[in-house]
Parts: sequence; C-alpha cells; structure tokens
Amino acid sequence: MKKSHIIGIIVIAIAIGAIISTVADAATYADFGVAMNNPGKQFQVVGELNKEKEIIYAPESNANQFSFHMVDKNGNEQKVIFNGAKPQDFERSEQVVITGSLQGENFLADKILMKCPSKYQDGEAGELTEITAESKS
Amino acid sequence: MIEYVGENLLAGQIGNFLIFLSFVASLLSVAFYYKTSELSLELNSWKKWGRFFFRLHSFAMVGLIGILFYLIYDHAFEYYYIWRHSSSDMPMNYIISSFWEGQEGSTMLWAFWNIVLGNILIFTTKKWEGGVMTIYATVQVFLSAMLLGIFPFDIQIGSNPFVLLREHADMFNLPFVTNPNYLSFVEGNGLNPLLQNYWMTIHPPTVFFGFATTLIPFAYALTALWKKNFQEWIKPALPWTFFGIGILGLGILMGGAWAYEALSFGGFWAWDPVENSSLVPWLVLVGAGHLMLINRTKMKSIFSAFALALFSFLLVVYSTYLTKSGILGETSVHSFADGLPGQLIIFLLFYLFVALFFLFKNGGQFLKKSEEDAFWSREFWMFLGALVLVISAFQITLSTSIPVINALFGTTLAPPAKPIEHYNSWQIPLTILVTLFVAISQFLKYKKTEVGPFFKKIAPSFIISFAAAIIMAVQLKIRDVFLITLLFTSLFAVLANLDYLIRIIKGNVKKGGSAIAHVGFGMVILGSLLSAGNKKIISKNRTQVNINFEDNKNANDENVMLLRNDTILMDPYYVTYTQRRVDAKNVYFDMDYLKVNEEGKYQKEFSLSPFVQLNEQMGNVPEPDTKHFIDKDIFTHITYADLENLDSTAQEIYRDSDTLNLKIGDSLFTSNSIIKLVNFERNIDKEKLNLLESDIALGVKITAKTLEGEHYEVRPIMVIRGNNIFSISSEIEALGLKFGFAGIDPDTEKLKILLAEKNKNSGDFVIMQALVFPYINVLWIGIIVMVLGSLLAAWNRIRSNKSSN
Repeated sequence: MKKSHIIGIIVIAIAIGAIISTVADAATYADFGVAMNNPGKQFQVVGELNKEKEIIYAPESNANQFSFHMVDKNGNEQKVIFNGAKPQDFERSEQVVITGSLQGENFLADKILMKCPSKYQDGEAGELTEITAESKS
Repeated sequence: MIEYVGENLLAGQIGNFLIFLSFVASLLSVAFYYKTSELSLELNSWKKWGRFFFRLHSFAMVGLIGILFYLIYDHAFEYYYIWRHSSSDMPMNYIISSFWEGQEGSTMLWAFWNIVLGNILIFTTKKWEGGVMTIYATVQVFLSAMLLGIFPFDIQIGSNPFVLLREHADMFNLPFVTNPNYLSFVEGNGLNPLLQNYWMTIHPPTVFFGFATTLIPFAYALTALWKKNFQEWIKPALPWTFFGIGILGLGILMGGAWAYEALSFGGFWAWDPVENSSLVPWLVLVGAGHLMLINRTKMKSIFSAFALALFSFLLVVYSTYLTKSGILGETSVHSFADGLPGQLIIFLLFYLFVALFFLFKNGGQFLKKSEEDAFWSREFWMFLGALVLVISAFQITLSTSIPVINALFGTTLAPPAKPIEHYNSWQIPLTILVTLFVAISQFLKYKKTEVGPFFKKIAPSFIISFAAAIIMAVQLKIRDVFLITLLFTSLFAVLANLDYLIRIIKGNVKKGGSAIAHVGFGMVILGSLLSAGNKKIISKNRTQVNINFEDNKNANDENVMLLRNDTILMDPYYVTYTQRRVDAKNVYFDMDYLKVNEEGKYQKEFSLSPFVQLNEQMGNVPEPDTKHFIDKDIFTHITYADLENLDSTAQEIYRDSDTLNLKIGDSLFTSNSIIKLVNFERNIDKEKLNLLESDIALGVKITAKTLEGEHYEVRPIMVIRGNNIFSISSEIEALGLKFGFAGIDPDTEKLKILLAEKNKNSGDFVIMQALVFPYINVLWIGIIVMVLGSLLAAWNRIRSNKSSN
C-alpha cells in the first residue's frame, strides 16, 4: 500500500468524523413542547419575552441569576432561568433565542441571544446583542 | 413638484454615471483581454485596449469612492447611505469607518484593492497578463454590478449607494418627504457604536486587502489550467501568496484585537461565524503557498497546489456570501441583514463552476504523473501540513455553514450550543500537528534527508521545549493533556525555527523569512494557549448566597456585584468601585485596583474605567477597559448597571424610610457604614428646638462608622406631645443617611428607628467581570513577527525570481 493511500484513508476518516461531530454537537431548533418531552436534551428555542410577567433579577443576593417567562413561536409559555447577569436592555428585546435544556420544571438557558428593536424609522431588523453564559459542569 | 432646499443632486448624478462607467469599462476590459489571453509577451492592440478599459474602470471606481467619501464628509443626508451610516458629530476616523459600514461601501473597498493590485499586475505579469487580467476584470464586473441598483424585469441588480433618502423604498411615504426643507432637521443615524473604535478604522481595509490578494494566485492558477502551462505560474504567483498570507493574517488578528478591546465577550476569538469565514481563506492560502513551494521546481502534488490556490479565493467569495446575504441571521453578532443573496450566489457559483471545470479537465494527467515523496523529505511533511490545514478549514467551514446546510437540505440544525468547546475539540489536535510539522520541517532537506544528522540538529530545541513545557504546565497548573501537548509543540515550533535561524542560516535575515514567519506563528499559538486557555476570572462570587438554585449545579460565578465604595477581593487585588461619571454619551464606572502594602493598608495600584455607551438607536453598549502589563492583561467590563437616575438631583433624594426595631447597644449595617445605638440622651434643649415646656423629648445617640474608619454621630429625638408622638430626624449628610426616632415598645423596650438612605447609596451598584489574560503579549508580538516574516519571504521570492530570469 502506498503512503498516499494511507494518508487518503485517514483524511476521509477525519472528514467523516468532522461531519458526524458537527451534527452531534449541533443544537436543534424546537419549541417548548418538544423540549418538555425531552428533558435534559439541548435545544434552541426562538420566542418572545412575556413582558406582563415578572422578570426576577436580584443582584444584591445573586448577580449571576435571573429568570423570566418566554413564549415560543407556537404560543407555549415557559419559565426560563439563566445563570448569568441580566443583559442590558433585556426588557426592550423583541425576539429572544435561547439555547439550553429543560431541567426539572424550568428551562435552563446556557445562552441568550436577543434582538432589540432599533429606532430606525424604516423598521429594519435591529442590531443583535449576544449574551453568553458559559455554564460550568 | 416639490423644490427641495439644499440637496446636492449633482454629486449623486456623477456618482451614478461613474458606477455605470465602471461596469461597462470592466466588461469591455474582459472582452479585449479575453482576445489576448494566450501566453505571449506581444503587446497587440487588443491588449492595449484591455489595459485602457481596466484603467478607465479604475478611474471610474476611484472617482466613485471619492464622491461617496465627499458626501459623508459633507454630511449630505439627502443620500440614504450617508444618512444610514453617519452623523454630523463624527470625528474623521469614524467618517472613514462609516464608509464601509454598509455593504455598498465594503464592496467598493474590495473593488478598490483589486484595482490597486490589478494595476500593478499589468506591469508585472508579463506573458500572463492577458489571462490574469481577464479574470481580474471579470471579478470587477461582478463587483461593479453589485452597485448598479437597477431593476430590469423586476429583478434587482445591485444596490446603489446614491439612492436619495426621500426616494428610498422604506421612506417615500413618510411625512418628511413632502417637506421641502427636510434637510434642515434630518440628522444621520450614526455609526454602530461597536464600530466606533480605532481598530475598526484599520481592520476592514486590511482584511479586504488580504481578500483581494487571494485573487492573484487564483487568477494565475486558473490561467495556467486554461492555457495548459502547469508549472511556470508558480514562480510569479508565490511572492503574492506570501504577501497575502501576511496581510490577511494581520487583518484577521486586528479583528481579534478589536473584539478583545471593544466587545465584552472576554477574549479575542470566539469562533463567531464571521471570524471563521475570514480565517478559512487564510488557512487555505497558507496551504496553497506551501504546496506551490514544493511544486515550483518539480510537479509532484500539483493537483493539490492548484486546488488550494483556487479555493482560497472561492472561500473569500463564500465568506462574502455568508456575511452579506443575511443567511447567518440569528447565529452571528456581526452579520449584515440587508443583502443581495441571489447575486452573491451567482458570483460564487460562476467561479466555483469555472474553477472546478478546469481543475478536473486537467486533473487526470496530474494524478497519473504524481510520484511519492520520500518519508524523510521536507516536501512530504510540508504536504502533510497543508493537508492538516485543509482538514482544519473543512471542519470550520462545515460547522459555520449550518444555516446554509439548513437552507439546502431543509434540516433544522442549530449552531453548536457550545461553539468554543466544539471548535476547540477539533482545532486543538489539528494545531498540535501543524505546530509539530512547523518545528521539524525546516531541518529536513528537499528530496532526501540523512536521518542521523537530522535528529542531532533537532535534538536541542526538542529537549529544551519539552522541559520548558513540563515546567510551565506545572507552574500554570495546566492539566488538560491536549493543552500540555500543544504547549510543547508550539514552544518547539518557536525554538526550532529560532535555532534554525541562528545556527543554520547564521542570522541571514534575507533568507530567514520563512523561519521568522514560523517563529511568529508558533508565538501566536503559544500566546493564544497561554492567554485564552489559561485566562482567569478573578471576579468570583464570594458571597454566602447559595447559587445552586433550583436544582442547577452549573452555577455561573463569573460576575460580582460591587456597591459603590465597597471593596471586594479579586485575587490578587482588592477592587473598589469609586464613582460613576457621565460624560456625554458614556457612563464611566471608575474602579480602583488596590493591594495591601506592608503596613497592612490599601494602596492603589491602578484604576480602570469600563463604560457603558448610551445609544438611543442601538441600545446601550458596555465596553471594557484593560490594564496592560508586560506579562498579563487585567480586563474589566460591566455586565449590568442601573442606568436610571443618572442625573444628580435624583441621586440626592431620600428613599422611603425603613422602620427598624432595635435595642440600645444593637448594631446594624447600612449600605455604607455600621451604625450603633449608643445610649439615650435625656438632656434635650427644648427651647432651641422650639418645643413646648410640656413636651416630653427623648433623644438617642447613634454612631456611624464607615469602612474607611470615619466616625459620625447623630441624635434623632422622639417627642411626646399629649397623645401624639412625633420624631425630629437627624441626618448624616456625608453618608446620605437620615434617622428618625418614632417610639419605644414598652414590652420589649425596643426603639422604633426610621432609617432612610439617599438614592445614590444603594442605587449605585454595578455587576462586573474581571479577567486576567496571562502572557497575551506573546500573541500580539507573534502576529507582528509572523507578518514581517511573511513579507520578508515574499520579498526574497521576488529577488530570487529576478536573479533566475
């Protein structure tokens, strides 16, 4: 067997590995209903902040946690807990994308991505602000 | 017909004419150059006309750029682009940045660099001119078309930078359009606050310059395949490839420097899709340069050399598609929403199709001819290195392209939930291989190397870096096996190349370009490993509050709440948040970093002022502040601050008082002091207080002691007049505390004390994060060394090309 064949086989194996790992590490878009049925599995949920309900953030006792209620695109509402500081202007957000999983009663978000409305008169899509909390396991 | 006041319509008309001219001239340049694309030195009239039209195109494009600059400088808000991206209060460097904030401007920037390079290539390409310039001119056709903004058959071609504000699709039915004097009150939108940073003035032009250089190896390689001259192209294309490696590498890491300084994600690299899509063409370009080097004298792996030279540019176009089409949407912070996806896809597919067609048309003959390299030869290991770079590029592209995969196959994959871990798990092992190859390949000879002398030469740097890696791993408490291995291989890459530079080529800098570039590359990896892999969050939550909340064990303890004048330990510093300053648009939060000196007292080491930029249009943006030391950086940023009550009158208002039930002798913490009820004061001067003789008055002496050791005393008084009880309150102005004495419970003997604090006392807190990046300067110095090495290698190639001619 020539060296080039061995190298070729290794490269193909690595490439397949990369494809598998991309699919395996990818989160899945879902609504809260799906997340509810698969506790512990990572999902990405797109929705809106429920501004009627309370956003709990008490930095005096814990600067690294806040919780809010979010309504996904299919209208399911869910309490979300985020272990990190509350993003600036969170109340103004128009759309929220969270990544995380259902833990017990609540959805535990590892990452929050929010879209704030811009005050452009043309109503164009606003700037994105990404806030990431890295959870340590 | 409304007569609008103050509009400068002439500039836009000239601009539109120049767009049209640049488009037509580039088309004509393609046509004439195509006729003369055979490899020949003959200067016929076709070639002359090709040159003429390329120069005419250049003239039009430069004029166009000049006009847009002038309009931004002149704050001509009658033009949508100017209104959208600039405002009249901007300093010069932001005026420059706002030029390329929008997609039309960045297209023009790219076209500009192609023109600069194209006009040099007219003189340097010699017999390759016809083919190379045909390809150059076609790219300019695509770029000019992106500025046309015309609508044949209801299909939009291009987006025009000279569209008037009042005629823009989003504006034309708004009320201001009918006001002839609208320019007297219209103010520009301004530049995205994140881009208001000096790095953003120099990073985009450098990256686009790098992007433009990838077109040179592409154009040479494609001409070579087209005209079936498979080897000679390498020599003239090589210096440009090294030049491109240097410039693009510099540009990418300038972006990293911007992210580090202006964004708050705490690092210089986050595997963001936009970062990735500028890194991938660089990786492929580096691979291409090395394969071209192997094949310049003998065709061995020429197929791969062609493939990489072609793909570097194709990946630049793909990267443009990713960032400008809006397909990244929710996955990236920096993607532009307004796009011309269709046109960009045609741009990409055209070149992809042409490149693949010529590559596979000729590919068969290369593969048959190829022969095996010896195991102990430099070319074998260089080839492997290039292969690893390709795998690395493939993996990054794959994971970055998830939105594209979704669009193509209808899947609903979301980007990796933990991108940094995902990419690192692949890229760290691959980087270990690359740095290892970088270390050993300089000592290997082309064709065949004697194994014994090779090991003898490489031994010193191997042993030293192995020992150093172990010592550093122990010192810095690095436990991860991959990181320790990478520590070793990157040290090895730096030392082996330094050794080569000193012992083998005896410090001959002219020949040392590659060794210097490799030292720099090793330092970049080493610096990234030490700073990012070893960054320390010192703002740990040390409160007693249990943060394992609602069954969650992944508590995040990176943020700390800091009250004003509070001092909190952030090892090895104590940090005090001293004051908040409002300066025009920015709210600064001053933090003093203290250390305890020998006498046991706090001593200020330095101050940092992270700030929040208040921005009406885009929301408030926190920006970090960093203290630079030789061996580390201390990075601080605000994650949350209460931005209400910013004006000083609101600060001085007392909030509602709390009722406290305390006994004499009890102590209590307020937001800024410890208070103690000392004793009753029975001798009250009633006359002075305008009380009646019959009133019963009882005072209580309260002391307040601050953490700094200052003492204050107050005496609130309770007065009983008939059946009524009232309180005469007493204030400590300096602490913003007000005390009242409202009664005594006869059963418990507890005093009812009313305590009110001013808004400024506890309204003023911040949540902040402080990180230490150790040895990050190794990274920055590494970049400079790498860029200098690449430029030196490019220059050396030009010299050797000249002497061999």
